[in-house]
Amino acid sequence: MKNNSKLANFLVPVISILLAFVIGCVIMAVLGANPFVALQSLWIGAFGSLRNVGTTLARSTPLIFTSLCACFAYRCGVFNLGGEGQFLMGSIVCCYIATKSGIEGLPAILLCLLGGTAAGGAWALVAGLLKVYRNQNEMIITIMLNYVATLLMGVVYTNWLRDGSVPQTASVPDADKLSRLFGLRITSAFVIAIAVGLLIYYFLFYTSKGFQLRAVGLNMTAAEFNGFAVKRYILLSFIVSGAIAGLGGSAELLGTQFRLINGFGAGYGFDGVAMALIGQLHPLATILVAIFFAALRVGSTTMQAATGVPTSVSDIIQALVIVFTVAGLAMVKLPQFKAFLGRMADKTQKEAV
Amino acid sequence: MDEFLRMEHVSKRFGDFYANRDINLSIRKGEVHTLLGENGAGKSTLMNVLIGLYQPTEGTIYLNGQAVRIDSPAQAVRLGIGMVHQHFMLVEAMTVFENIILGDRNTKGIFINKEARKKEILELAERYGLDVELDKSITEIAVGAQQRVEILKALYRGAELLILDEPSAALTDIEVEGLFKIMRKLTEEGKSIIFISHKMREVLRISDRITILRAGEVVTTLERSQTDGQELANLMIGRELAPSHYGKVEDPGSPVIQLRSVDYHKDSKHAGLNGVSLTVGRGEIVGIAGVDGNGQSQLAQVVTGVLTPDAGEVDMKGSKVAQFTPHGFILESVSHIPEDRNKMGLIGNMSVKDNIVLKSTDSPEFSSARGYHLKKKAIRDYALKMQEKYDIRCTSIEQETRNLSGGNQQKVILARELEGHPDLLVAVHPTRGLDIGATRFVHDTMIEARDKGCGVLLISADFDEILEVSDRIVVMFEGQIMGVFSGKNPPIEEISLAMAGK
Amino acid sequence: MDWEFISNLLLASVRMATPLIFLALAELYSQRAGLVHIGLEGLAAIGSLVGFLVSLITGSPLLGVAAGAAVGILVNMIYAYATINLCAEQIVYGMAINIFAPALASFIYRVYFGAGSELVQVALMRSLAAILGVTPQSFLLKLLLDQPPMVYLAYALVLFTAVYFNRTKSGLNFKAVGEYPKASATLGINVIGVKYAASVICGALAGIGGAYLTTCYATTYTDGNVAGRGFIALAAVIFGRWSAGGVLLACLFFGFCDALQIRLQVGSYGIPYQFFQMIPYIATVVVLALIGMKKAGPKGVGKPYLREER
Repeated sequence: MKNNSKLANFLVPVISILLAFVIGCVIMAVLGANPFVALQSLWIGAFGSLRNVGTTLARSTPLIFTSLCACFAYRCGVFNLGGEGQFLMGSIVCCYIATKSGIEGLPAILLCLLGGTAAGGAWALVAGLLKVYRNQNEMIITIMLNYVATLLMGVVYTNWLRDGSVPQTASVPDADKLSRLFGLRITSAFVIAIAVGLLIYYFLFYTSKGFQLRAVGLNMTAAEFNGFAVKRYILLSFIVSGAIAGLGGSAELLGTQFRLINGFGAGYGFDGVAMALIGQLHPLATILVAIFFAALRVGSTTMQAATGVPTSVSDIIQALVIVFTVAGLAMVKLPQFKAFLGRMADKTQKEAV
Repeated sequence: MDEFLRMEHVSKRFGDFYANRDINLSIRKGEVHTLLGENGAGKSTLMNVLIGLYQPTEGTIYLNGQAVRIDSPAQAVRLGIGMVHQHFMLVEAMTVFENIILGDRNTKGIFINKEARKKEILELAERYGLDVELDKSITEIAVGAQQRVEILKALYRGAELLILDEPSAALTDIEVEGLFKIMRKLTEEGKSIIFISHKMREVLRISDRITILRAGEVVTTLERSQTDGQELANLMIGRELAPSHYGKVEDPGSPVIQLRSVDYHKDSKHAGLNGVSLTVGRGEIVGIAGVDGNGQSQLAQVVTGVLTPDAGEVDMKGSKVAQFTPHGFILESVSHIPEDRNKMGLIGNMSVKDNIVLKSTDSPEFSSARGYHLKKKAIRDYALKMQEKYDIRCTSIEQETRNLSGGNQQKVILARELEGHPDLLVAVHPTRGLDIGATRFVHDTMIEARDKGCGVLLISADFDEILEVSDRIVVMFEGQIMGVFSGKNPPIEEISLAMAGK
Repeated sequence: MDWEFISNLLLASVRMATPLIFLALAELYSQRAGLVHIGLEGLAAIGSLVGFLVSLITGSPLLGVAAGAAVGILVNMIYAYATINLCAEQIVYGMAINIFAPALASFIYRVYFGAGSELVQVALMRSLAAILGVTPQSFLLKLLLDQPPMVYLAYALVLFTAVYFNRTKSGLNFKAVGEYPKASATLGINVIGVKYAASVICGALAGIGGAYLTTCYATTYTDGNVAGRGFIALAAVIFGRWSAGGVLLACLFFGFCDALQIRLQVGSYGIPYQFFQMIPYIATVVVLALIGMKKAGPKGVGKPYLREER
């Protein structure tokens, strides 16, 4: 039974990805491109050389952060759709510290990351307090706060920290930039992301607090009856998930983008939600999913150059994967489906005899 | 008498399991026909076949001599079969009137003609002596009134056969009298009634004929005049009834918990406490008897720290409780078997293992570094030990508890709640929905805990259960305590009156 | 603050409230059948794009709106199938729609216009006054006549919805499905049918709400043009206590906030315009925080309905 459901949890996303690719190929064919050439160039673009692998991993870094943000919150039963806002608040505070504090080098980097983490956590806490003390719908609140954060970032790069005629902030000083690894695009931000993922994995599955947090997420009433501080865990999950996103925003600023500009971090919040759901809220699986989607995006640029298929086909594939995965996971839980599997098993058994 | 409904050789199979096998049953016009049987005897399945929720695997149903197919609830309604479910099918957000006309197909037009419909309904209500207030919302009326709404609902749809599923379960004695009067009126008018119950007293009073089901099959059908309670009970269980076989304690130890004039939402008759004073001592089982929904849930939640009383004092082992939190009560060694095991007791999506250690992962036995590292092996070994000790039947301790049977779910909770030698055990409806074997196991376990010095507060709507294990019996009615009785040779008549508020 | 400012503000409020009304009614029908739908944002996005394209190709904004409704229904059938038949979690699946539908919209736009093309614009739907050939002068006449037909449709729908849920048999049955599906089924109400009907209505209204943005409000489609209205509509349903009238008032309030921010931007004295743009979003948060949320709304919302067959 347990093994069956584990197998299903693994198979459903894999089949969903295959299905999404098949549909993606049909779309490409309709658009007049050769799907095989397209897929080939997609692969080469993402993993064809060490350089490309580095780019893919660099691209995956912010996605890992926002997907871990979503993943952690959902583990506690909190639907945090505000990863993007928390990511942006982190990067805004980080940008201030990097460009205005006058400190440079490692202390500045640490301060930047810390400030960004705190900002993300604080931004999420707003929604957390409203949920816990006003019993409010956290989804609507976090979405609204995303827009507020995006607009606030707009104020920052068009006004408060604007640098010159172009609406963008000044670049962070070179000394504050996160170091690149092996001369590739990938930076130490990726290492931080993986470390955060491992830490969350350990916390959720190897500590008593993580165990209790998961219990709260699965059945709040029972958790309360069993003496867990439900409200505290919910607030904690908001803060930690926001902090992860905030850290991601800072790392993205110091590692890849270096300045705030229109479109910074756009869409990462929802992407994170999608990846966490496909990864079924398992932190390590979520990381793999994030890398997979980053590869899809990086590869799609090469694909566009080779075949003319627009890069946004990768968004379609990603969207299809989530549509299929969520439906598929629901389907395998249906009693009818279980009965169907049971009948199939009976049949094969009888045939074997 | 004419026959209204006949079932011939009806079977309902789920996979390899026969829930009903070769059922032959005939219901006459104008009779009260009782279906008697234990939990799991196949009563519900049979009724679900009659109201079109299930399709019979084999067999034929005849209505007025004609073979019919009942393939949906709508079809059952058209054929004149109406059911009053044990858990009422009433939409709480709507008024009595709206509930009655819901799903109506008899009248023409798009809009609701309130005046005309109300007139019809009131006429119908008068004819059968069903007293209802049409404009009240469902939440505003008492359980007995809700039941009348359900009956009226069925009659409004032209029901000729009414199925009443354990209709007296949630009623006071007076309300039961009212119900019986209505049932008589209905049969006088030629309606047929299928009465499902296992309360022998009521069955003997109201039935014209009685059909006994056991293990999915019809044992026999008897005329009321030709049988008695002893015969019915023996037929139902398939063996002789045994009297209570637990010894009763008369001198409990020092008080574990003491409530003094505790109020909680005291104006709410069905979900509040009004001046409740109560003591549970070490080594005794105090049984709270009463019809469901007279404040028992609130009492349980106050003595486990889930609810904070509005007034009054609670002493725990001699010292006053200052703050009511479940965590604080757990630290005081209070264990809780909550009324709804799936909602309040278990994390259904977690494994048997995880649910067994749910409360104790912070203890050094199961984690090191102040909870920052779980000892997975210790947890596993412990869970395996508990699985054996409490005879939890599961495919493995990794199985999710939501996939277990009710009895095994309850055993998981027992393993968690009783293993730490609690000072107080609060058990709410601990055997609801369990089969005889599991019920016996739960009772044995409670007695064992009592004999080790644990104070037990048992709350149950099952009067037989209260009589079986309680050393003292406390009766609750509308949030108040109506009386305290000895568990040894309890005065059953007096207790019944107290439960009805007298 | 002169009269002109106020009258323009009020006129703009009505215009800004209209897409919210469509979206909030979409949510209302869905929730009344027990389906909480957080995917309106996505449905509106695809409705907005298709409305734009069809209006561009045919030259008829009305056809654009119709096409928006059609695509809304189509996409919402995915949601309906997954949540009704497969019993997928409604919240999670709504989120999937929020990711899927805008991606699809954006992709179609890219494919149709190619990368880096210049801005394509369409003519907006004419106001009733323009259709009648009159030029209203007074505030009241402007309010009554100088609106695109979609505005009247929105108010007609509010009226219809109020009557439907409160006065008709079918509306009563519809509500019962959202409150207590099992009880409804025992009364012979087709629960699955009602849920699908609700999904069709929800998809159509959400598609129209999106199409409004590109046929009556802005002359072109841009990614993200729904700008959180799908979620504000969700808040409007809560704020409006699940009644058609309440929802209308809530939408007018949020529409007013939206109109206000645009008007204030014009006269801003050195205050970055983004702060004004925050007004509707902050207003939503504040309103929700103030009303708090007692357990209200249809009881069956969010729960899957399984027919009882073992």
